[in-house]
Amino acid sequence: MTRREKILKYLEKYTTSESQSATTKEIAEILGILRPNVSKELNQLVREGRVKKMNGRPVRYFILKLNGGQADEPFEQKPTVGFAGSTVITSEVENDALNSEIAETADVFTNMIGAHDSLKNQTEQAKAALLYPPHGLNTLIIGPTGSGKTYFANNMYQFALGKEIIAKKGFTTFNCADYAHNPQLLMSHLFGYVKGAFTGADVDKDGLIQEADGGMLFLDEVHRLPPEGQEMIFYFMDHGTYSRLGETAKMHHADVRLICATTEDPESSLLQTFVRRIPVTIQLPTFDQRSPREKLQLLQRLLTLEANRIHKNIRLSEDVVQALLGSVTYGNVGQLKSNVQLVCAQGFLNSMQNKKEISLKFSQLPPNIKDGLSHLANNRHELGKLTRLLEPVMIIKPDFNRGMPEIDSYELPYNLYEIIGDKAALLKDEGLNQASINNFIMTDINLHLKSFYRQGKLDKTVNSLNEIVDQEIIDLTKKIQRLLQEKESYPLRDSFIYAMSLHISSFIKRVQSGKALRNMSADLISMVHDYPDELRIAGKIKDLIEEHYRFPIPQSEVYYMAILLVSLRSEPKTGKVGIVVAAHGNSTASSMAQVVSQLLSVDNIVAYDMPLEMSPKIALDGIAAQVKNIDRGNGVLLLVDMGSLSTFSSKLSEKTDIHVKTIDMVTTAMVLEAARKTALIDSSLDIVYRELREFAGYSRTIGKVQGENNYSPNLPDQKNKAIIAICSTGEGTAKKIKELLDKILIDNLIDDITVITISVVRMKKQIAEVQQKYQIVAATGVVKPKIAVPFISLENLLQGGGESFVGLIEQVNKRDIHSVDSLENSELLTEETAQKYLSQYFTFINPVKITKILWDYSDFVQQHGHFEMSNSFRISLIMHLAGAVERYLTRSEMSVDEQKLSEAQSDKMYPIIKQANEMLYETINIKLSDDESYYIVALLNTEKEKSNTLKK
Amino acid sequence: MDVRLLRIDSRLLHGQVATNWAKAISVNRILVVSDRVAQDVMRKTLIMQAAPPGIKANVITVEKMIRIYNDLRFISIKPMILVEDPVDAKRLVEGGIKITSINIGAISFDSSRVMVTDTIAVGPEDVKALKWLHARGIRLDVRKVANDSSKNLWKSLLDKGLVKDF
Repeated sequence: MTRREKILKYLEKYTTSESQSATTKEIAEILGILRPNVSKELNQLVREGRVKKMNGRPVRYFILKLNGGQADEPFEQKPTVGFAGSTVITSEVENDALNSEIAETADVFTNMIGAHDSLKNQTEQAKAALLYPPHGLNTLIIGPTGSGKTYFANNMYQFALGKEIIAKKGFTTFNCADYAHNPQLLMSHLFGYVKGAFTGADVDKDGLIQEADGGMLFLDEVHRLPPEGQEMIFYFMDHGTYSRLGETAKMHHADVRLICATTEDPESSLLQTFVRRIPVTIQLPTFDQRSPREKLQLLQRLLTLEANRIHKNIRLSEDVVQALLGSVTYGNVGQLKSNVQLVCAQGFLNSMQNKKEISLKFSQLPPNIKDGLSHLANNRHELGKLTRLLEPVMIIKPDFNRGMPEIDSYELPYNLYEIIGDKAALLKDEGLNQASINNFIMTDINLHLKSFYRQGKLDKTVNSLNEIVDQEIIDLTKKIQRLLQEKESYPLRDSFIYAMSLHISSFIKRVQSGKALRNMSADLISMVHDYPDELRIAGKIKDLIEEHYRFPIPQSEVYYMAILLVSLRSEPKTGKVGIVVAAHGNSTASSMAQVVSQLLSVDNIVAYDMPLEMSPKIALDGIAAQVKNIDRGNGVLLLVDMGSLSTFSSKLSEKTDIHVKTIDMVTTAMVLEAARKTALIDSSLDIVYRELREFAGYSRTIGKVQGENNYSPNLPDQKNKAIIAICSTGEGTAKKIKELLDKILIDNLIDDITVITISVVRMKKQIAEVQQKYQIVAATGVVKPKIAVPFISLENLLQGGGESFVGLIEQVNKRDIHSVDSLENSELLTEETAQKYLSQYFTFINPVKITKILWDYSDFVQQHGHFEMSNSFRISLIMHLAGAVERYLTRSEMSVDEQKLSEAQSDKMYPIIKQANEMLYETINIKLSDDESYYIVALLNTEKEKSNTLKK
Repeated sequence: MDVRLLRIDSRLLHGQVATNWAKAISVNRILVVSDRVAQDVMRKTLIMQAAPPGIKANVITVEKMIRIYNDLRFISIKPMILVEDPVDAKRLVEGGIKITSINIGAISFDSSRVMVTDTIAVGPEDVKALKWLHARGIRLDVRKVANDSSKNLWKSLLDKGLVKDF
């Protein structure tokens, strides 16, 4: 029996009227429960209307006899939310859902605010992902702080339960940020560990993954997962198996639906891996992006939640509604929830005497929430729409069918109202007057809520930037960024920090080294003339820099800054590669395109249906129109269903002047993959094309030959190659990029590419000049020039350490290097390949006979030594072993000194090699010497060392 | 560019033997020079993969090797150069690469070649190239790994009667 039940039972038995009442003290003594606890329960019961409190001292309580009704819910239940007056603005959908229990259980999403509006796509995506055969698709939810990621994930879970897609009830949540500073601990929580894996691991323990077997696992703030964890999660996603800490083989199996969530910008490099590996990405809207109607519905639902808690109606005036809606700045629905809690707590306190209702008055709101009204007033359009929906007074009534508290990070871990009630009673007992009680408790509420506010973690990683730019400048740039965003509402791209801090850095260095100031050309002045806004803002930036460094900044610099701003603004997000799906049949292509664009909510796919009787000429024109339609400057990928269509690409390019690459296989899976790959920024057509060819898994000669011939711009061109680096002046940032690229080029032994710096001001002319002498193969910098070459953004160049550039250059140089990945995954590496290599390089051994034996040897080492072997390492090992065998046959074995040998003999791989050698002896009567064994062990260790450094 | 070692080994970069060398003579780069392999994506990838930790390997053509050797931008590279046969070694020396000795590990046997030692086989073209190198005072050093005792290939060639001293 709970405490509450004990007290209720006592009261029912002994205190049935005013004359038979009891004090808190009496109850506490008789039932043996601590007095404060009794007081708390009694207050709760009084609030629920089940117990009556008598005035006077000490306070006496007695049970209220109800007229046969249920005591628990003393308030009427319908109509639920409404305004004073008759207008009810709950959406029809919601009413439908409420009126019919069946509808509600059939699809929980229907009940979600915005499910048919701003969250329509998202809910469709979620359903599609969950229902995707056979096991559904793992999902990544992206949204800013407080946009409702946990809530959404929870609904996905409820949906999956309702549809019986998941076997077991269970929604396990894990916040990756909790242990972000202790990767080991994090991993052990997630994957479990075996006894002895680390100090204190006394027993084997299952991790959350095992716990979630058959259910759903929600990984919040997944971008905080350390690299090791990511690797294991991805492995788990692909194979369904994992290992616990301290185990080498991944032999545990779990059937878990994964939902990941993050606040990270999906275009940040941190997230790229996730976006690449997780098939479905759901982007939640910010609070601002929602319609006024939805905002109001959200507010009502949150208020209902509070009304349920306090069992009173909540009455609020129009301006309070507006202030609350306007008070949401960065924290979205989560912030709204916190703010609602704050004002309700305050209202509760102020209306303590009123049993039926609490009233929220504008004059009593805390200042930061009052500000919301003026914030909202700034947006006339929005305010107008909202006002039309509002009545002078809104009344929210408790409703238990709706607004049940969810478990999320915005939910207080305790009942705030109980605390207020108890505390107010206590203070009143102490004899304080109402004003000081209110004052006292308000401070308290603020403290509670403040300590609870979870602020978004806005620290973006700029680590590689601060290797080239002083932290001081980065900080200054951030300050400038804030100024521009808050005061000027100037739209900035993500690359602002990079471009601006590099610009400032080079300017400061220039001033400090006493170099001549840049002069202002007529070109520059006339260009800036067209951008008065930017010039004005550049002036403000100048003031900030002057204030920081305390030296005057010449007007010319302001002009260059303005140019930089223009280029940072004028470039929209790099256009995605477009996709055109063309297939025979009346609707084959369009239905595939529709499925994919819905599933991934992408907008870069169009279809072209070709009825069988359509003439090729018409088809060509039609496809050309679609290619033009979807091109965003980065080329178009054409997916066709028949080989003959692939010959179109050259004609299409002629017709449209747009790069087109053709893949002559189109399945829904292929379109899905293409959409996923092109969704990433800076995915170039060539890269997507190459990756997709591998995805299909077989070579297609027609498409390949066609494609290569048409689009290698350098084929007839014998000019020297050049990369252009662009910044506002052509001197500061661009020079830095040039240094960086030169280093990369040298490091990769590339001697036939020159890096040329270019200023935004005279970009067109300069590029034309460069093109006279050089063949431009790539571009990088603060702005993307309008030429048909791959462009790598500054962030990618700096963060990726230029590796992507090298890949690009390799491609340009027509040394089509297969990535290591493709080699690792390829089926090419079989015994036959090994045999081919052996026959090429060895004299005395018979490759036909030895290959199988050495293959088995490496299998043995892999299994017994728990040594994970990449395909290429396996070939290395087999080659080495063949060498050892041949050296044995020619009696020219390698030798090693005693000390090294004895070191190797204590190696844990040594006995395994010995055993493997034994196998060799049994089959072909060849006994490898200890010295040769040393070299085999050394080879294994070198490989291990290498894979370890790679991981770091 | 400071060429630390020029090694002839028809298996080029493979296994522990190359790693052993790279460590013994402290190089910061392994350059595998072969026109044939530079065109062979598969082998190229395997070779780049086989590089010891911390040392990068590139596969380039003979022409490119000579070009970057004479290019001052690449001055800080201290490579170990691996070639497949004496003919390529000769082309490099002709192209200006300065060395006083060439290490010969293994040259695999085929029907056009004869065995000179247990791991080295030579054909007429190889002999011509080796003669040319010997005439320039370049030592033909036979060792499998760095701490083997060195043998002179010229002596073995003499013994076999493939070359004559004057």
